[in-house]
Amino acid sequence: MRVNIFKYSSVGKKQIVAITGLMLVGFILVHLGGNFMLFGGPEKFNGYAEDLHRLGPILWAARAILLVAVSVHITLTFSLYLENRNARGTPYAVYADFGNTTFAKRTMILTGGLIFFFVVTHLSDFTFASKTGPRTVIPGVNGDASLGLFGLVWMSFLRPWRVVLYIGAVCMLGMHLSHGIQSFLQTLGINHSQWTPYIERVSNLIGVLVALGYSMIPLYVVIRHLTVGVGV
Amino acid sequence: MAKTISLTLKVWRQKGPNEPGRFETYEARNISTDASFLEMLDIVNKELTLQGKEPIAFDHDCREGICGSCGAVVNGHAHGHERETTLCQLHMRKFRDGDVLVIEPWRSRVFPVIKDLIVDRSALDRIIASGGYISVRTGQAPDAHALPVSKEHADAAFEAAQCIGCGACVAACPNGSAMLFVAAKVSHLSLLPQGRPERWRRVQKMVRQMDAEGFGACSNHYECEAACPKGIRVANIARLNREHLLAAFRARLFGEYPDIKVLPPSV
Ligand code: HEM
Ligand code: FES
Repeated sequence: MRVNIFKYSSVGKKQIVAITGLMLVGFILVHLGGNFMLFGGPEKFNGYAEDLHRLGPILWAARAILLVAVSVHITLTFSLYLENRNARGTPYAVYADFGNTTFAKRTMILTGGLIFFFVVTHLSDFTFASKTGPRTVIPGVNGDASLGLFGLVWMSFLRPWRVVLYIGAVCMLGMHLSHGIQSFLQTLGINHSQWTPYIERVSNLIGVLVALGYSMIPLYVVIRHLTVGVGV
Repeated sequence: MAKTISLTLKVWRQKGPNEPGRFETYEARNISTDASFLEMLDIVNKELTLQGKEPIAFDHDCREGICGSCGAVVNGHAHGHERETTLCQLHMRKFRDGDVLVIEPWRSRVFPVIKDLIVDRSALDRIIASGGYISVRTGQAPDAHALPVSKEHADAAFEAAQCIGCGACVAACPNGSAMLFVAAKVSHLSLLPQGRPERWRRVQKMVRQMDAEGFGACSNHYECEAACPKGIRVANIARLNREHLLAAFRARLFGEYPDIKVLPPSV
């Protein structure tokens, strides 16, 4: 079967954007759960990471699926973005919205793009970095021996600019999702006179919780470092 | 006695589709607050005509909010700021003495300006021609209760059928999308038994035509719903999305509807 995603109709493209977006939301939630293992200390966190890597081919399959989902999501949203921008022609001298559109809705392409650049940085920070090298050593802890991925994360967040970058990026992600979640339901045809207003609130809430949840990790490292230390 | 107000109008003037347009400023003096927006333009036009100037061209027909002919963007709002109101039903009591109004035509690449505030909305007609009908022979009207229709479906179909095709959804959408229009037509037909047989084919044809015309895609901003003079709800867009998804699966599974042709856009 030959699949040319550009040949889909505008509605079809949006529906593929919605499905790939939903897959990414799934990843975001699982990843957040995994990151929370950090609160359990080095053994728990590194143990979780090793368990994941022991999945071997399953992990690689999941990564491949995510990579395809991200690529398709970005390609199609960018293609839709260009088409939408082109549809107006002469711009309005005065354009006033009725308040149904929101800042989050108008900045989807921007927050999405920033998330993409963040993800690239993030992968090089953690995923592709050595888990045993000097960057994984927390001075004065564990007899100056490597603390694996835990040590890498800990040391990374002792740099203020990285804390700011990560918190900024997850706020973008939260905003993207606050619209994304309610939007994918509508795009896939789900709109209910009684439930939809609640779904919109839940969608905004998930956005806020994702931003807060992910922000907790760098904040936890910084606060803990300045107070009780690693504690091992 | 009726109150009167005076306003300053900045109106888009454009001689023809290929002419450059620009804003001209006019004073609308002593306008009765009982006048409609179009009547206010009539008064200004009478004045312009007496001065030997070209009157402002604008579309109108019924002037009672049911035909879908009228429409302009007033200070950035399609059909003005008043909710669920066409421009012809917008009254001057909704404005204040001394207001400055910027009046523009619907802005869409798909709706070229014919003259001043009049735009060519034939793209919407071509979308209807592509699938917004039912294939039955005309004849005697059937008995009203000959076909059972549930109350829920009748109500939802009726609500969608209120669309007057004015194009305000396109004008108000940040993406210049016609989804609310197409969704209203798809909904109204597919909810009723007469529209069911062509249901799957219809949604595909109409979406294809919409795309071919060059309208934007829906990003769920919902500005269309707020601007719609008939209060057509975006739940209809969700219904279109649903029909489209199901139609796509059916087409994949059963290889249906290979015959979708697109009418040549813009004449
Ligand atoms: C990586 C770069 C990304 C870019 C450039 C991007 C871009 C966009 C854009 C422009 C839209 C709106 C499409 C439209 O309404 O026309 C969108 C929708 C969406 N995005 Fe993203 N996005 C990205 C990453 C993500 C991630 C990581 C997630 C999930 C965690 C996600 C989840 C969603 C969802 C659920 C939608 C809603 C789909 C719909 O409107 O039906 N996106 N994205
Ligand atoms: S003139 Fe008919 S709807 Fe306004």
